Order: sequence, then C-alpha cells, then structure tokens
Amino acid sequence: MATSPMARARGLGERAMGRVFLAPSFAFMAVIALFPVFYAVGISLYDIRGFRQEFTGADNYLRVLGDSGFLNAVGNTLVFTAASVSLEFVIGMAFALIMHQAFVGRGLTRAVILIPWVIPTAVAAQVWRYMFDRNPGFVNSVLGTDINWLRDPSWAMVGIISADVWKTAPFVALLLLAGLQTIPRDYYEAAKVDGAGVLQRFWTITLPLLRPAIVVALLFRTVDALRMFDFAYVFTGYSNSLATLSVYAQRYLVRDPDLGYANALSTVTFIIVMLVGLAFISRMGRHMVGDVARKEK
Amino acid sequence: MATERARASGPVHRPRRRTHPAVVNALKLLGLAVVLVWCLFPFLWMGMTSLRSGSAAITDPNILRGPFDLSNYREVFDQGFQFALRNSLIVASVTTLICIPVASLAGYALARLPLAGKFALLAATLVATLFPPVALVNPLYQMYLRLDEWTGISLLNSYAGMVIPYVALTLPLAIFILATFFAGIPREIEESAKVDGATPFQAFLRVVAPLAAPGVGAAAILTFVYATNEFLLAFSFAPNDLNVQTVPVFVGTFQRVGYENPIGQVMAASVLVSVPLIAFALILQRRIVAGLTSGAVKG
Repeated sequence: MATSPMARARGLGERAMGRVFLAPSFAFMAVIALFPVFYAVGISLYDIRGFRQEFTGADNYLRVLGDSGFLNAVGNTLVFTAASVSLEFVIGMAFALIMHQAFVGRGLTRAVILIPWVIPTAVAAQVWRYMFDRNPGFVNSVLGTDINWLRDPSWAMVGIISADVWKTAPFVALLLLAGLQTIPRDYYEAAKVDGAGVLQRFWTITLPLLRPAIVVALLFRTVDALRMFDFAYVFTGYSNSLATLSVYAQRYLVRDPDLGYANALSTVTFIIVMLVGLAFISRMGRHMVGDVARKEK
Repeated sequence: MATERARASGPVHRPRRRTHPAVVNALKLLGLAVVLVWCLFPFLWMGMTSLRSGSAAITDPNILRGPFDLSNYREVFDQGFQFALRNSLIVASVTTLICIPVASLAGYALARLPLAGKFALLAATLVATLFPPVALVNPLYQMYLRLDEWTGISLLNSYAGMVIPYVALTLPLAIFILATFFAGIPREIEESAKVDGATPFQAFLRVVAPLAAPGVGAAAILTFVYATNEFLLAFSFAPNDLNVQTVPVFVGTFQRVGYENPIGQVMAASVLVSVPLIAFALILQRRIVAGLTSGAVKG
C-alpha cells in the first residue's frame, strides 16, 4: 500500500511522540523502583554495622534460611493471607449478590461500601486494636468472652484477620458487583425457563461469567495480603506473634539496624510477592492487557 | 435431574412454591441493612469513644455511658494533630499533581501511539502494580543516606522523601487506568481533529485529554487515597518529626503520655481524619468506582 508522504511524516511524528510521552514515567520508575531492587541485592552481600562494611557474599541469604524469626514471619504471612483472602472472597461475594438483587437503597449502599476502603489502614488498625483491647473490652463484652486478644498470638492473628476482612470485603464486593452487572439478565431468564434452581444458576451462569472479575479481585487481595505491614505493626509492634514478612524486613532497618541483613530480607520478600503475583498474571494478564490493545483497534 | 425428583415425589403435582413478593423485598432490605451495619458500626464505636472522658472510657465497654465532652479533641490538637493533617494533605496532593500528568502521557502513548513492544510495556506496567513497598524501604533508606553524604541533601524527614517513592509506586496503576480510559475513546474523534489540521500533540491536548477527564479524575483520586493511606514508608522515613509526619504515622504510632490509656485521643484523631475522607469518598463515589473497576471488568 502506498502511503502519502504526509501520512508518513505524521507516523514518524507519532512514533517520536510515543517515546517522549513514555520516557518520564518509565525513567522515574526505573530510577526509584527498579534500581533500588538491584541496589538492595548489592547491599545484601555486605555485613554493615555502623560505619564498618565487610563483603560477606551470600552469608546474609544463608542466615535468612536458618532464621527462625524469618520462618515464623513466612508462616504468619501465609496464615494471614489464606484466611483473610478466602473470608473476603466469600463475604464480598455475598455482599455483591445482595447489592445486585436490591432495587431500593442500592445507590446508598454502593456509596457506603467505599467508606472502609477510604479509611487509612493504620487508622482502621488502631480502631480495631482498641475494640479488641481488654480495657475497656468492647469485643469481649459483645462476645461474652474474656480473651487477651493482643497478647495471645493466635487470638491476635484472629484480630488482624477480622480487621482486614472488615476493611476489604466491601472492596471485593465492589469489584464483583461490577462483574455481576455485565452478565445479561436473559441468561437467568432462559435458565429459569429450563427449570434451573437458584443454586444451579449461580454455579452454571454467575460463577463462570464472573471469572475475570474474581481473578482480578483475588490477585489484588492476595498480593496486598502478602505485603501487609500496617495491621500487624499497629496491633503488636515488632513482636514475633504477628510479624509478617514486611514487618520482619523493616525491623532491621531502624529498630535493630543491620542494613545488609535488612536488604537480604526485603529482596527475599520481593521475590516471594512477585512470584505469586506473576503466577496470577500469567493466567490473567493476557486478558487484561489484551483488553487495552483490543479497544485500540 | 428435575424430572427424576418429580417422579420420586409421586403422582401428585406440587406447584412450585412462590415466596410472597413482600417477603422477598423485606429480605433484600435486610441484606442491605447487614452491609450498611458492617461498613458503619466501627465508626459509631469510634465516634462515641472519642467523646467519652475520664476513667469510665477505659474500664467500661458500654459506649453509651458518659461523661461525654470534647477533652480528647482538645488533647490531640495540643499534641499537634493539625500538623499531621496538613502534612498528609500536602504529601498526597503533591504526589497526585506529579503522578497524574506524567501517567497521562504514558497512558495515552500505550493506548494510542505506535510503539515497539507495546504489549510487553503494558504487561510490565501491570506487574509493577504488584511491587511490595517493603522492597523499597531498605535500599531507599540507604540511598537517602548516601545522597546526604555526597550532597548534603537530606531526604529523611522531608516531604520529598515520601513523595518520590509514592509517585514511583502509584505510577503503574495510574498508567494502567488511564490507558484503559484512553483506549475507550473513539479513534474517529481524534482522526477528524487531525483532518482539520491539528498536529498529533494538539489532537491529544485539545480533543482527547478533555474526553478522558473522567479517567484522569479516577486515577487522581486513587493516587490521592494511596498517598493518604501509606504507612510503611512514611513511618520508616519520617517517623516522629511533626513538621512532616503524616496522619497514618501520627495515629498508628500514637504515644501514650505517662501511664494513661490514650484510647479517647486515638479515636478523636481517627474521627478527625475519617470525616473529611468519608465526605471525599461519598462525593466522588462514581469516579472511584469507575477507577477501581476499570480493567477488572470487560465491558
């Protein structure tokens, strides 16, 4: 196909413009996000105490593997992630279905459901911490229990899981509700005519068609839970009972300064979080990215 | 399956049980009430606790028992909470003002302009949204120390020390949201502007950018909320200087004075930051939902 000189000139203009438009973002991210990741690997090969620096190779990584505090943090993070993400998914799905069914009050609920999301996590964590605290003992008085929520490691874990589920189940509901609204009503009518019950319609229509929204919600929630810092730190500080990967890696920055080890820990955490994220995206990413690419045509 | 059950239940044909519409509606409203109570009850507890003063607030779980007064609010202002509010507002606003124009350019380029390896760039942007901030805290701290040694510029305990990583961490999501919005604008509009003699840049600035305003708004709001929410980096880089300390750090690390349990003051501070943020969320509801769900749903 013959292109007119004018069109070719415009094409060149657009090509240059594309590079110029991309440059600031990608340069910024490369210097402030990507470079530090490699820099961290560099620092992690040293033993740094005060002004003394000594190259120790992989010693910090060997120490990570044998560190019971780190293994404890891995355990805490996995328990927190598995419990909070599955509860958020079930409750978020229930909320989304409720809101999808309702006619009166849907607008109000959809606005209110944003409120837990917009509150800073550290603030929500303090509110829940004090609701769980034995003095004055609000949660104990509601449940009729006498549990020392903040001191007992298992109950403290229940505490931060509850707080996180409270804050993010509505967010999951919002994502799933948006997905529900794209499913044509006719499908349900047709299934009803064929005699499908409520549960059958849910399993055969709702769940499969909601899959993209579900995978996105699970991706964001899982990665967020794996990198969680705020709830664990506000509830029990650096104590081992709740220390997550993020809390444990940050602890060696200021509280017990050991920069080489701190950077080995954050490198390992980075690898764990990104591997899980990539596992999701490799299933989902082509679809999401393709959406932008397809709309373009 | 359904026919088998019909056969099993014998020759008597049972009409399908229909629940009365009024009952169905009542159940639906009850469901909504559960959602509303779920979202709001901690705020009732927070608000009531912030108003309770004296020892009753610490020993008695009944939030309806007084005495009530505003002493907790006076005390958090005495401790400088107004500065934390100001700092959060500045850090979040500056982050948004830097992030969004830069991300708009990239989003437009990814959605519209001819680029080599576009698919890889979009995928990289998506992967970058998963970046764990803790991987930034330790190396960036060291970089800040080195910068201070070499140039005397100290980014620890400064607004810039927070804004710089916040921009880096919010760019990927902002770019992705904006690319989705730009991709949704009909190409013909742009083409006709070019036919009318506009250069590609003029077409972007005068025609496409205004049409993408809802997307720009959504991305800006999410960026702003991220920056008001961020705790880990703010706590590591600006832990206790009231000139720069943000609200999450002030509330999340609230220091008790002496042996007193500061429950009332923590809740007063929480109320003071929640009220504007809730108003913000309710007013901008539509934009927020559009931003959060862009990319999550196929339209």
